Amino acid sequence: MRVGILCSRVRVEEKLLFQAFQARGVEAVRIEDEAIVLGLPDSSPLCRREADSPGLYDVVLIRSLSHSRALYASQLLSVAGLLTVNAPEVIALCGDKLQTSLALARHGVPTPAVRVAFSPEAALAAIEEMGYPVVLKPLNGSWGRLQAKINDRDAAEAILEHKQTLGGYTHSIFYIQEYIPKPGRDLRSFVVGGETIAAIYRTSPHWITNTARGAQASYCPVTPEIDAISRAAAEAVGGGVVAVDILEAPDGRLLVSEVNHTPEFRNSIAPTGVDIPGWIADYVLEVAMKSER
Amino acid sequence: MDRRLCAGGCHEVGTIKLGILCSRIRPEEKAIFRALTARGVDFDRLDEENLFLYLHDKVAVTSEGDRHLRLDYGLIWSRLLRHTCALYLLSILNGWGVPTVNNYRTVLTCGDKVLTSQALIGHGLPTPRTAVAFGAEAALEAMEEMGYPIVLKPAVGSWGRLLSKVNDRETAEALLAHKMILGGPGHRVFYIQEYVRKPGRDIRVMVVGDEVIYAIYRRSSHWITNTARGAEALPCPLTPEMADLALRAARAVGGGILAVDLLEDADGRLLVSEVNHTPEFHGAMQAVEVDIAGKMADYVISVSQEASTEFDARCESAQWRGNRYRGRACACLPLPLSAPGGRPPSG
Repeated sequence: MRVGILCSRVRVEEKLLFQAFQARGVEAVRIEDEAIVLGLPDSSPLCRREADSPGLYDVVLIRSLSHSRALYASQLLSVAGLLTVNAPEVIALCGDKLQTSLALARHGVPTPAVRVAFSPEAALAAIEEMGYPVVLKPLNGSWGRLQAKINDRDAAEAILEHKQTLGGYTHSIFYIQEYIPKPGRDLRSFVVGGETIAAIYRTSPHWITNTARGAQASYCPVTPEIDAISRAAAEAVGGGVVAVDILEAPDGRLLVSEVNHTPEFRNSIAPTGVDIPGWIADYVLEVAMKSER
Repeated sequence: MDRRLCAGGCHEVGTIKLGILCSRIRPEEKAIFRALTARGVDFDRLDEENLFLYLHDKVAVTSEGDRHLRLDYGLIWSRLLRHTCALYLLSILNGWGVPTVNNYRTVLTCGDKVLTSQALIGHGLPTPRTAVAFGAEAALEAMEEMGYPIVLKPAVGSWGRLLSKVNDRETAEALLAHKMILGGPGHRVFYIQEYVRKPGRDIRVMVVGDEVIYAIYRRSSHWITNTARGAEALPCPLTPEMADLALRAARAVGGGILAVDLLEDADGRLLVSEVNHTPEFHGAMQAVEVDIAGKMADYVISVSQEASTEFDARCESAQWRGNRYRGRACACLPLPLSAPGGRPPSG
């Protein structure tokens, strides 16, 4: 079994993944996303290193930091006949908040209300109609970057003008999400191969509850309800290894806010006691073995 | 009327030629061209987009041919829209000894809110409380300390663009995050100003040299009261206090043709908010009786006449007879009354 791990940097997560494969008697090879050259139609996509060629790997685990690298690498590797985890379709859906929303809606997974507008004027009208506060999010981006909670019209005008000035694909499509007054925390569940393996609370005095932004991770029991919505969300985006961000509405409903295709998990192992990298390694090997059969 | 600038300083005082730097002809420029034509002033329109300048030779090349800006024009009046462009051009021209309205120093100061504030504060003028920060965290701390609402402005910028009224910490955080990735040196300078609860309007006072020529209210239901953002220009009775503040503010930034924006605070006190170095006045043209462009033209002519004595001396002593520039003795060429494509509207 030959496993490649495509990554930008070896963070704690990647170290743990290498160890997990090693513990399973599989040597995972690090593929640096900055070093590789991929091609079409499918010529030796991993040609930078002599030993590297697509045929050397049965499966490549995508752990690139950048969404665009993860997306394009997985697509090009797939064309070359390699299996990737996650699959390019999953990465494409999860990497774009609007695509995620569409996929979740198609599968009937409950989410906060979303409005999309293509001009600051239309966005302002949508925001005024939804009522404050609302959340404005860039279509792609991680760690809660540039997410803006808009509490009044002054803020809406200022942020929309700044976004318009920023321009580009990410900022010229206005993705407006209903603000869910969450109880100082949200939930993140980890779904691996269709199973909800763990969940954490992310608690923060700040409305952005990313652990990368200082939120505290603590154990959250996987209730049947959390399990059901997590699996439904994962299935909606095509399965694989994902982390599902879930909000608790004041009326007790659970709503899926985002699905992450390359989740960080270093802060989630200790509170849950779940060997997340082990689960991921097992799933990657299972995917590779299934394809061999 | 065939006016020539020729070697030996044979031009007459009063027939000095003006260069008007502008790329777009707005109603303001049309009015200015009309006023100059009515006064029999010879001028060329110089479009900065068709211009390049040899810094060593002190020569500008335009689509109409070489211009020795130092010798062809007694004065250059800048009506440039682009601040950075104006700044560079005026710096070069003043460096070559060409008098300009406004001068480089004034434009440098007025084009930057930090420098304007410093000049105004340094001259004892009342201004809204202001803080400057160079990092997002420091900016957030300053805003928290000053208290909300607060106004966050780009240090360089016009027409009320990217002005942000910040009512709470969450907005502050979101805006700072956006500014940090906006890039460019300007957006990592945080100009933070007390929000003045003005009565649905501000006051714009036009200063031309040592004279205050009018005041208007700019009324808007929005807190941003730029006419470019839809504010309505209305006549405002000019009080001695307004005139005094405006003149002092204009002098503080170096003088010239300047629009001084005043804010009335909740106690009725007047605060100087900004000084604009290339003011638009199409709104005021409708609202006030004053011949604004005419007043400005008269001022520019008077500045150019003051400069012309020096200009004469320069012509006599200068060593510029030789054909140094592409075989042309540029200062001896008959100059067109108006540049092709830049012909001023008549009447």
